[in-house]
Amino acid sequence: MTELQLSDVRKSYGGFEVIKGVDLDIKSGEFVVFVGPSGCGKSTLLRMIAGLEEITSGDLTIDDVLMNDVDPSKRGIAMVFQSYALYPHMTVRENMGFALRFAGVPKAEIEKRVGEAANILELGPLLDRKPKQLSGGQRQRVAIGRAIVRHPKIFLFDEPLSNLDAELRVHMRIEIARLHKQLAATIIYVTHDQVEAMTLADKIVVMRGGVVEQVGSPLDLYDDPANQFVAGFIGSPKMNFLKGVIEAGDGGECYARLPEYGGVKIPVGLKGAAPGTPVTIGIRPEHFKEEGSVSLDLTIDMLEHLGGETFAYARHGNGELVVIETKNGRGLKSGDRITARFDPACALVFDEGGKRLR
Amino acid sequence: MRNNPATIASAVFTYGFVGLMAFLSVFPFIWMVLGATNSSIDIIKGRLMPGEALATNIANFFTLVNVPLVFWNSAKVTIFATVLTLAVSSLAGYGFEIFRSRRRENLYRAMLLTLMIPFAALMIPLFIMMGKMGLINTHIAVVLPTIGSAFIVFYFRQSTKAFPSELRDAAKVDGLKEWQIFLYIYVPVMRSTYAAAFIIVFMTAWNNYLWPLIVLQSNETKTITLVISSLASAYYPDYGVVMVGTFLATLPTLTVFFFMQRQFVQGMLGSVK
Repeated sequence: MTELQLSDVRKSYGGFEVIKGVDLDIKSGEFVVFVGPSGCGKSTLLRMIAGLEEITSGDLTIDDVLMNDVDPSKRGIAMVFQSYALYPHMTVRENMGFALRFAGVPKAEIEKRVGEAANILELGPLLDRKPKQLSGGQRQRVAIGRAIVRHPKIFLFDEPLSNLDAELRVHMRIEIARLHKQLAATIIYVTHDQVEAMTLADKIVVMRGGVVEQVGSPLDLYDDPANQFVAGFIGSPKMNFLKGVIEAGDGGECYARLPEYGGVKIPVGLKGAAPGTPVTIGIRPEHFKEEGSVSLDLTIDMLEHLGGETFAYARHGNGELVVIETKNGRGLKSGDRITARFDPACALVFDEGGKRLR
Repeated sequence: MRNNPATIASAVFTYGFVGLMAFLSVFPFIWMVLGATNSSIDIIKGRLMPGEALATNIANFFTLVNVPLVFWNSAKVTIFATVLTLAVSSLAGYGFEIFRSRRRENLYRAMLLTLMIPFAALMIPLFIMMGKMGLINTHIAVVLPTIGSAFIVFYFRQSTKAFPSELRDAAKVDGLKEWQIFLYIYVPVMRSTYAAAFIIVFMTAWNNYLWPLIVLQSNETKTITLVISSLASAYYPDYGVVMVGTFLATLPTLTVFFFMQRQFVQGMLGSVK
């Protein structure tokens, strides 16, 4: 069973630390997605696992073997790059067999493995073409095929779908998910697209500023984010954040009052929250319903009709924008005044530093 | 396209200017070809029509010059200079671009500064060096100073900027060492850059005159440019024979350019797209 462990892994360029102590366990067969905004260090971390960037400190082990100083080709990994990185002077067949040729694998075995990978990815008719004669999607399949033929312990994908158009991206996303199932391979996948992360991952690693913010299954992160950053990053459209302040009720119950929304009170049920504490209330667009004990008076600014549902971008008198998802939005129009309601049980509470309060 | 007077005037000016430049570029070649068919007297008189002295001029040229020997000398010097310059300069350009450091950057700048030193200032020290190594009157002395070309290193470094770093990463993951990445990935991917550099270096080496004039002293070692020059500076130069020699000397560079012009243009635009 292939397991990968990162223990307090750090990376610095000169005096500037870009990966600030990452601890992570990846189990055999898991599909792990590193996700985060540009510059968060996700690609750097992937390149450190691949051996393309040196590890400044900390340990990287694969199957309990320390890999910090092991050559990339001897780590049992294969990598698929964003720009495909196919050798332009070689045919598809040569590209796929190149690593094996250098590893001294017999020609017959190379042919067999290339054939198998070509079958899996339906690349048979393209084997004698050069990369410039292929479409973007075909090139990406060749890049994946080049990884498959090496029979790696771990596949590394560095934003592999970023260069594809929207339709092809969806198609390739399904292909990669199918491949994961078929090969039962361990996959580490980097993306900044949280939809890709949600749909592909067994486990998502959310990163920001070289730090892992949270690790968990897609729905765990969606339903139970550890902080405001994760809550805002996972989910599209993103979670609404409303500024509030903690107040104690007459019976000792805890409320978050929203002074900028006409003093609306939201029962939050926090233990030990001191009155006067500034908080942020997080509410997802789909949690606004026709029924609910908390209501906000809003004016619709703009509408996005997607057919099945509608996203209404509405403003309160304070100018703050609130996004509401509704199934019954066809009759709405800009300028309409609405009352948006939600169940306070759906609201998440964050402190001033963005940490989740429970 | 609208046919207003300004557009027409602009087109006339553009085509007129380009035509004039093209004529000025091609005229010496036409003159050389016509001159090869005329006698020396006709050439001096400025005759610009085909003459009847081609066969005589060719026969005289082959009588006066050991043609196979001088062409062999030129070919030897040019091939060695070209191959070695491309090998050394492409390695240096790749190294300067891929393995960056402040110290290497300073070294690179110092190397570029050497482009500002005129060859006339280097001739005497080079001659003394070659003399000390016992290489005067050898083809090695002609080739050696040309292989470390700052311009070609600069050209390769600039072209290497377009070499995708992900190809290098992919090759590393595939198990290639740095020299294998250079040999198996960089060289074939950058072949247009090599082709353009090949033409530039080949033409420079083939037409090289001043340095061979200084270090090659015996008739057995002289290259075609030196032989043509000696024909032109004879007491009674036969310009018809000189034109035949010049024409024949032009043929190798013309042939190289003819076969590699597509790669040359592509190389100038950048190997990687």
